[in-house]
Amino acid sequence: MAINKKEYLQEVLETHKMSHVNSLLDKYRDKRKSIKEALEEHYTDKIYSPLNSGSYAKHTAINTKFDLDVVVPFKKKSFSTLEEMFDDVFDFLNETYGTEATVRKQKVSIGIIFYSDNDGDEISIDIVPGRELNEDQYNEDNKLNLYVHSQYGLLAGKTHLLTNIKAQIEHIKSRDNERKIIRLLKIWKSSNNEDYKSFLMELITIKAFDKDSISGDLCEMLESTMEYIRDNITKDGFTLSDPGNSGNNVADTLESWQKENLSSKMKNMLDRIEDNSDNLKIYFPINPDFKENEDTKSSEGYGVKTGASTFSIPTQNQRFG
Amino acid sequence: MKENRLDNILQTLDSIPYVKVKEPFSGEVNIQGRVSIQFEGLSEPLEFYVVIYPQYPFRTYDAETIKFINKDYLKYNHVMGDGTVCIHTSHNPNIEKKLLIDFESLKNWIEKYYINIDSDLHYEHLITRESDFKGIITSYMFTDVDYTFNRNQFGFVNLSLLSEGKNGNKPIHNYLTKGFVDEFGKEIVICKWSNIYKELGRPNHGIFFYAEKQPATYNRFAYSNWKEFIDVFTSDFLEFLHQCEKEYIKKKRRGQYVPFYIGYKIPNGEVHWLVATIEIGNFPIEGTKENQIWTSKLLNENIKWATSRNSSYKYFFGRGAFSSKLTEKRILIIGVGAVGSNVARTFVKCGCTKIDLTDYDVKEPKNVCRAEFQFASGRTDKIEEMSNVLSHISPFVNIHTVNQPYFEIMSKALFGKDKSRNELEDFLNSYDLIIDCSTDDDLMFVLDNLSLKSDLINLSITNHAKELVCAFHPNTYDFVSKQYSEILDNDVEDLYNPTGCWSPTFRASYNDISMLVQIALKKINNIYKSDSPKDNFIVKSEINDELNIKIIQY
Repeated sequence: MAINKKEYLQEVLETHKMSHVNSLLDKYRDKRKSIKEALEEHYTDKIYSPLNSGSYAKHTAINTKFDLDVVVPFKKKSFSTLEEMFDDVFDFLNETYGTEATVRKQKVSIGIIFYSDNDGDEISIDIVPGRELNEDQYNEDNKLNLYVHSQYGLLAGKTHLLTNIKAQIEHIKSRDNERKIIRLLKIWKSSNNEDYKSFLMELITIKAFDKDSISGDLCEMLESTMEYIRDNITKDGFTLSDPGNSGNNVADTLESWQKENLSSKMKNMLDRIEDNSDNLKIYFPINPDFKENEDTKSSEGYGVKTGASTFSIPTQNQRFG
Repeated sequence: MKENRLDNILQTLDSIPYVKVKEPFSGEVNIQGRVSIQFEGLSEPLEFYVVIYPQYPFRTYDAETIKFINKDYLKYNHVMGDGTVCIHTSHNPNIEKKLLIDFESLKNWIEKYYINIDSDLHYEHLITRESDFKGIITSYMFTDVDYTFNRNQFGFVNLSLLSEGKNGNKPIHNYLTKGFVDEFGKEIVICKWSNIYKELGRPNHGIFFYAEKQPATYNRFAYSNWKEFIDVFTSDFLEFLHQCEKEYIKKKRRGQYVPFYIGYKIPNGEVHWLVATIEIGNFPIEGTKENQIWTSKLLNENIKWATSRNSSYKYFFGRGAFSSKLTEKRILIIGVGAVGSNVARTFVKCGCTKIDLTDYDVKEPKNVCRAEFQFASGRTDKIEEMSNVLSHISPFVNIHTVNQPYFEIMSKALFGKDKSRNELEDFLNSYDLIIDCSTDDDLMFVLDNLSLKSDLINLSITNHAKELVCAFHPNTYDFVSKQYSEILDNDVEDLYNPTGCWSPTFRASYNDISMLVQIALKKINNIYKSDSPKDNFIVKSEINDELNIKIIQY
């Protein structure tokens, strides 16, 4: 039975809202606060105030997979090299949290994944150390140089990355429709185990809205964005400029075969949704934990009603082989 | 009619400017005569005895039914032992046109191989005149080995009798060459068969001599008389042969045959073995006394060549196989029902060599019609049956059966415990590829929740085999569940539920299932071959007015 695509996608977004996980989010916020305080206490006048960044700060987070990001702006004179800064922050965090969390160096950040608490929750916070470009200029231009941890792929060879977190946050401010589509694409990414970078999906969505004057209902906007990705990502000269650093073309983080794959995935998704709107459920699943439906509130939520059947007769969803 | 046929032939020959009839053509059944061929570039005419069989212009048993024969041309390429020039020409049902084509082919052969003495890049094995031993045909299969034989090296060959059958009207004994040992019985090297064939019973043995240079006349015809080996075999070897015969006779084996392997290097560097049969008590040697010393000499006797075949992996699967990116993988197949057994058999037929199987079920007679099982083995464990079926297909596949209760306990009863989860992950990660054809939803859930480095593919079909669902880890559980519960029209009202049945099953024939599985495997092979993304897909088969098969890519 065909579904109402717009209503379905609205429900998908609704069930993925961060507000459903407020108590968990409180744990994240508490951890983030304590890490920030620890960093401020340790680095005192070497840093400016750490700031929140990432999807939560941009209001593009989804509740099935998220972490909180904190950018730590270091002053120019704090360290002579970016690598020293990165290593020092890692050493400090590892020393402070190493017994209660896995602390690891990531591409431009240090990831802290706290061991599961009594509720089984794993809190994950990413700390991004950056250094201002010129002495005492951060408050004016918000520009930071990030250290690029060398073992990472496409940026290998590059030792630093210029960025402007505030500009990145500003870039998506007041763009409600774009945020919905970004969240839907993140839901697709997460539930289908796609490893495309969220930042890339974010930039390409905003570009699609800017270039293709995307409008209509939620589903039409989603489909138009997917068509834009399908038709443009593989084009020669297609760029996705980092709002924090116009010299950084985020489209270059994908090899050409990865762009082909992304284009092809968008095509397949659009084709399948056109074949049968129920295929939306494959690509953009509802988060069953927060489905506003009576069957999540009772035993039926476990499929008892639909799963039970006449003795020795297979159920409708019986597979064969 | 017969006269017409002869007239047609003569008139046609008369029309070919470079052909002259030297001896008139005649014959009731075969039409025979002699011609000479002369054309510009040929210094003198060449003569051929021509035989035209009654099937002409049709071919028979894949051979031409016109022969051009002259034993004087044996040294030239593509002339067989009886002097027949080997030509392969196009089909033509018209006798006149076919004659023109065939004589043109003969002319081409003369230009290429007689005048220009051309040699082919393609190597063809030596031509042997094979003969039986006391009415029994013998055949010997061997593989390449990781060993370099030395010229004049000799010793014994370990063999197993693989099977006895019929070849034409005669019995044939098929032997598997297991390995080579030196004259003192110490192992030199073993052939590269799978373990089951390496350990095959019904042992036998033969004798080998490595000549290095091919024992042939005109580089094409294997020696036909033992005397021709006079400069090849060493006196040490002849003495060894003599001692062997004495031992065989002591063991009361007089009159039986011994396979005698003669090895040589072929142009691509491989070693090829010709095998002759020699009769105990009548070895082709005799003792002669020279200067008070007895020595063995070769006798002037015809050689009884047997059939020998290099059946190494590359020749066995030379005609077609899956990509090596798939065949070299260590594979686990979970569930060998209709789908899983078809997958397993196709993998083996396509060159996979490391396959493990797990299934708790027992094969019943009713399973045979659509799974790769055989009735003759009766009621038996499915994995036992599949192991036998697969090993019978390929002498290179090593099949292991997984401890099923262990797998079931680890994946179900102990699921959720870190230690067993890690153990299960380690176990599964020891494979490169896992194919889950179990249709066990609980197992699919468990596997979906594991952190696997190995590839995992989930395969299942709907009732009537309308669709096959193929999902790649980690996108298996949600995708497959939703396909069956929300997307596909899986009609379970119409299941097969015969009298006495405890559990109804799906309806589909071997053809229905196999077609879907083969398409899915072709796509999977292509994904690995071209390093394409491992995206889920559905193979859909519909019959409305006509059969419509499509792959729906997710």
